[in-house]
Amino acid sequence: MTAPLTDPALTDQALTDPALTGAPLDEPGRGRRAGSATWRAFRRQPLGVFSLAVLALIVLVSVFAPVLSEPPASYGPDVLQPPGGAHPFGTDALGRDVLAEVVWGTRQSVLVAVAASAIAIAFGTLVAVVGAYFRRVDAVVGVLVDLTLSLPVLPLMILVAALAGPSTTTIILVVAAFSWPEVTRLVRSQALAVVGLPYVDAARLMTRNAAWIIGRHVVPAVTPVVVVSVVVTASRAVLSAAGLAFLGLGDPTTWSWGRILYEAQQSGAMVSAWWLTLFPSLAILALVLSATLVSIAYNDARNPRNHDR
Amino acid sequence: MSLTLFVLRRLGRGVLTIWFAVTVTFLLLRLLPGDPALAVASTNMTEEARAALLVQYGLDQPLPVQYVLYLGELLQGNLGTSFTQSVPVLDVLLHRLPWTLLLTFTALALTVVVGVPLGALAASAKGRTWDRVVQVVGVTGQSLFVPSVGIVLLFLFGLALGWFPIGGAYDQDVYGFEWYGSVLSHLVLPALSLTLVQLGPYVLTMRAALVDALGDDYVTLARANGLSPRRILWKHALRNALLPTTTLIGLQLGFLVGGAVLTETVFAYPGIGRGIYEAVTQLDFPVLQGAFLLLAVTVVAANMLTDIAYGFLDPRVKTS
Repeated sequence: MTAPLTDPALTDQALTDPALTGAPLDEPGRGRRAGSATWRAFRRQPLGVFSLAVLALIVLVSVFAPVLSEPPASYGPDVLQPPGGAHPFGTDALGRDVLAEVVWGTRQSVLVAVAASAIAIAFGTLVAVVGAYFRRVDAVVGVLVDLTLSLPVLPLMILVAALAGPSTTTIILVVAAFSWPEVTRLVRSQALAVVGLPYVDAARLMTRNAAWIIGRHVVPAVTPVVVVSVVVTASRAVLSAAGLAFLGLGDPTTWSWGRILYEAQQSGAMVSAWWLTLFPSLAILALVLSATLVSIAYNDARNPRNHDR
Repeated sequence: MSLTLFVLRRLGRGVLTIWFAVTVTFLLLRLLPGDPALAVASTNMTEEARAALLVQYGLDQPLPVQYVLYLGELLQGNLGTSFTQSVPVLDVLLHRLPWTLLLTFTALALTVVVGVPLGALAASAKGRTWDRVVQVVGVTGQSLFVPSVGIVLLFLFGLALGWFPIGGAYDQDVYGFEWYGSVLSHLVLPALSLTLVQLGPYVLTMRAALVDALGDDYVTLARANGLSPRRILWKHALRNALLPTTTLIGLQLGFLVGGAVLTETVFAYPGIGRGIYEAVTQLDFPVLQGAFLLLAVTVVAANMLTDIAYGFLDPRVKTS
């Protein structure tokens, strides 16, 4: 049933992260019935459903960007036009349509978020479950995660991105490389609790194949935490990538929300032409906030206490 | 565990973290598919200058030897030379460090001073309107992009209302008391942006810890003894709920510094973060490397001091 969360690192995290408070351990193999109960409970939360719709909309915009808008031209006749008429979001210092920049920037932001968090999640989860299963590895993993998390990560990302040269691949890899410790910390504490449960001992009696036990019994049990951390990691990745782009380390050949802000700053129109910064800022907020709210709603929904009986 | 042992262990961990930061930097600089000479000199150097540099910095030696040399240079405080300003990186950065420290510590103090009461308010009204409001504010705060917040504040209070200056850290032509006044008025908007972004986690942590503490037996006992709810909250529960919040300061210091880099960029605040932004534009790699190492040392030292200070106040820390 619900195992007490004893690891101090987890307790900290559980308190830090609203998405994790009050979430019990899922028993593995509760299977589809629990999944549909979770979905039913999720649908009853208006804020969660609304956020999910916003997320879906953002993903749709990123997929259908070529249909929605022409790629931003390299210059245009109307410089720094306020929103209205032919340019609903206004134009920037080179006369480019801000709406087109934001739409195409959605592509880049979603791509970086998905790719970087996929890598970070896969690696972070692997390290966490293997560490939890083999205690000797865990000691190393724990120290490594602690050390990385106590360093200022953004300046480190900046250094690496500047050395490697700005490109979309660089940004994805850099953000992934410094996001996995957070995933490992979230998943590890759950995995440590699971590994101590009797059914894992029982599995040990059946086979000495550690990979089988981890894959069949440990990973399914930590999946809910992984789902939550996908969302958290992806939204952090959006913020990190936007931060790098804002400092001029974005891919200079592709539009991103951070790059719109960076160019606004470079052109000196950052504050006076409010439409240059408002729309990309709202886009970032919409993506990150809706992702956070979805993860909170999901966490509430998978708590069996909130299910119908 | 005795207090001396606790302090020693904490110091040891701090040294270990700094060694880790240095080693990561070393490995990144050497293993990335870039030219290591770039980390100490300009991109448009001649081939002979490059070869001379490689020898001077021992970059023609095998990797372990390079590592020892690198550690040796760092221990002497040599972070290389900024090739855009032709002065030692350490001088450039130490000149900027006080501004970053002023900004981050002001923001941190504001965050704690505002965040703890807000969290307490939410916990004492658990499930009611105020709790909801505070939680929404906390979650939204966590989703804010630092430059966006800075720009909004700049637009509202700098440009539209004209209450505060729109950039820099002080006025050029004032002295004495007035100068301190100008420093303060330049500090308001950057510190406020950083505080707004940081507030979320503190509020939510404080709330969760207090809700936990209010369910404990000693609170029930205090209630049975007829103590007023306010006294129970502020005198009994709050003290016990402060530990996770203090731990959070350590966990968030890295993010705080990252946020400061972006804030300083928006406000043209002359700290290390703005220096990083300028170094990125000029591809000044020695400054970028030095800035990371110096910020890492600052964060680790601040974290260590917080922990040790708290160890004196709360006996539970020493045993954990």
